[in-house]
Amino acid sequence: MADLEGILRPPERQLPPYPPKSIYLATGEQMVVRPAVREETSMLLEAIAPLLYVERDFYDIVAARTFAELLGWKRYRVKDEYCLVGLIDGQLVGLVNGRTLSSKVGISYHTLALRRGLRVGAHLFASKMEYHIEILKQKYVYITAESPIGFRRWMLEYDLIQRPDIPHELGGVDVWTLTPELYHAAKDRLVVGERPVPAPLLKTAETITIPEEAQLVQQVTGRAKKRSS
Amino acid sequence: MEVPKGYQCKACGRVFHPKRRFCLGCGGDQFKELALEKEGTLLTFTKLHALTMDFTTRTLMLGIVEYPRGVRALGQLSTDKVEMGMKMRHRWEKVREINGQEIYGLKFYPASK
Amino acid sequence: MRDVAIIGCGMTKFGRREEDLLELLMEASLAAMKDAGLDHRSVDAVYVANMGAGILNYQTGVASALVDRLNLLPAPADTVENGPASGASAIKNAFLAIASGLYDSVLVVGGEKMRAVTGWEATDFVASMTHRQGEYIYGVTLPSLAGMFARLHMAKYGVKQEHLAMVAVKNHENGAKNPYAHIQQAVTMEGILLRPEAVVNNPPIAEPLRMYDCCPVSDGAAAVVLCAAEKAKDAPHPAVHIAGFGQATDIHAVYQRDDPLDLKAVRGAAKAAFEMARLCPQDIQVAELHDAFTILEIVESEQAGFFPVGQGHRALEEGATRLDGKLPINPSGGLKARGHPVGATGVAQVTELVWQLRGQAGERQVSQAVNGFCCNFGGFGNNVLAFVLSRE
Ligand SMILES: [Zn+2]
Repeated sequence: MADLEGILRPPERQLPPYPPKSIYLATGEQMVVRPAVREETSMLLEAIAPLLYVERDFYDIVAARTFAELLGWKRYRVKDEYCLVGLIDGQLVGLVNGRTLSSKVGISYHTLALRRGLRVGAHLFASKMEYHIEILKQKYVYITAESPIGFRRWMLEYDLIQRPDIPHELGGVDVWTLTPELYHAAKDRLVVGERPVPAPLLKTAETITIPEEAQLVQQVTGRAKKRSS
Repeated sequence: MEVPKGYQCKACGRVFHPKRRFCLGCGGDQFKELALEKEGTLLTFTKLHALTMDFTTRTLMLGIVEYPRGVRALGQLSTDKVEMGMKMRHRWEKVREINGQEIYGLKFYPASK
Repeated sequence: MRDVAIIGCGMTKFGRREEDLLELLMEASLAAMKDAGLDHRSVDAVYVANMGAGILNYQTGVASALVDRLNLLPAPADTVENGPASGASAIKNAFLAIASGLYDSVLVVGGEKMRAVTGWEATDFVASMTHRQGEYIYGVTLPSLAGMFARLHMAKYGVKQEHLAMVAVKNHENGAKNPYAHIQQAVTMEGILLRPEAVVNNPPIAEPLRMYDCCPVSDGAAAVVLCAAEKAKDAPHPAVHIAGFGQATDIHAVYQRDDPLDLKAVRGAAKAAFEMARLCPQDIQVAELHDAFTILEIVESEQAGFFPVGQGHRALEEGATRLDGKLPINPSGGLKARGHPVGATGVAQVTELVWQLRGQAGERQVSQAVNGFCCNFGGFGNNVLAFVLSRE
């Protein structure tokens, strides 16, 4: 059995870690962006689960795929995956994930904003691109969009190059690519944040807490809270 | 190429673009066609980042140009390297596609080039 | 002409709503009728303000559908469309009908369901009211007109990005105190302007305007019940009177105006409203202005006569328009934070003034408010309505 597990489990490579950064949001709140570790995946899965049934803005599709990817990471079934989380006072407000295909090529998986209207998704996606290009020093990042919001944010804002010749991992639509040139052209207007994160602030981001299910669905859909009479 | 026109009120001399049925100044309804002058001054402009769905570019430059005879026109700008008061020249070009139909209009280029 | 009073008002929470347009209109209508102490037998007529259900929701004949749902048949009912000023136009129609003696009590409800379409489609829908040949074909949107206008105004009067951001910060702070607001979240000057992160937190929309200079796209509805003042004595709440009303139009294409910075229709509407009320701007203690863009709050505050032209931004610096200032502007959060379901906005402005004048505005209550003013701005200032409201 142990041998079979060895066959089923992709070989692990140690990826250079993403150095945490802090981002000052419109509300004055500080969001810490840091890498998640495998031990935190159970909690992330729990956070995402309620979104599997939220149709608005394609949250269901994105949540289901992210759930599968994180589960794959947790159970050693995805190769070289990483996940960055956005935390305000320790509470999860968004996450992004991806993996490396080779030393030169990265694949951007998904972006999930759990709090909306604060550009959390934009900040986290930018952090992910920063990781691939500046930390992993990759030449290409493969990106797809599965929602109109994603398409506008990634394809248009970064002026990505469409590559119909590259098959996407999930059998989805065309792949678009980010290169170091495009990244650096867009960096000034899209990539922000401060390093190093001061120790007290970093400490608030040590342990992830997740919003309650009702609260989360309300945040994501903008649905009015049920009035408690 | 089609030449963009101004329409001068025969009664009071005021010029309009595009064509109107009645003059805004005196109410006159007789107009003389004029070619818009070659060069005008950029009165104001914006770089638009939130485009409607039929545009596939990330941004769009729009501006208002004032011609020497006083008529003004709004159009697209060829570049974002512009400032207020700059001299601009127009061309009549495709500016948009609406439901697959090509729409022609004014596109302004910096005059000094 | 008979005096006209407002005896009831109500609204839905603005924002992204699950309900369809008719449900939103019903919710606001029933709240206003309940507030007025009216049952369905005592509504003589209905005016519904809506700009674009035909385009946004594939629903036409909105007023006819609504009176059926509300069991108000056979009350006369009309849908009023006047762009983003539809709400005030519907109130005007009710006002005239009661003042003339034709009806005694009239329900006015304004609503819009904009989030049924994508942001691009909503932007294009609103842009459809611009000049087709002179503006729209180039890709003009309302933010782009506001951006070009702001650049001119800022250059002429020394208004800075910071002044625009002050409007946003103030209105978000007020909106955070309004349970009906689309965005109930305060923002900081650092977060939207001063810190390096602001380039992403507050990206450009139509330069020099940024995201926090523009109102959100909202769903929602608001309603008021108007009544002949002589018959308003039995209403549960003290009546608020429509003391003055004014409306003016201006040249369609903004660039064709003699001075594109001169919002003549705002000035004309405000002047007429003050004249009818026999009041002047100094008599007003609370104002709701049409801040679809932050620059518009500044300019309307000048054109309505509250501050000299070119000085509106100084008043902001001094805090004169904050909740605790000399003339609080947009205590509701304005279009900026309360949201802008286009057909609802004019009615929501009047609703806020009624709450303020009755002393029912909760945490955002302005002190000592006797007279209120509102301005509903259609097109890019080509059709503007203003009301002066007074409590007894
Ligand atoms: Zn004339």
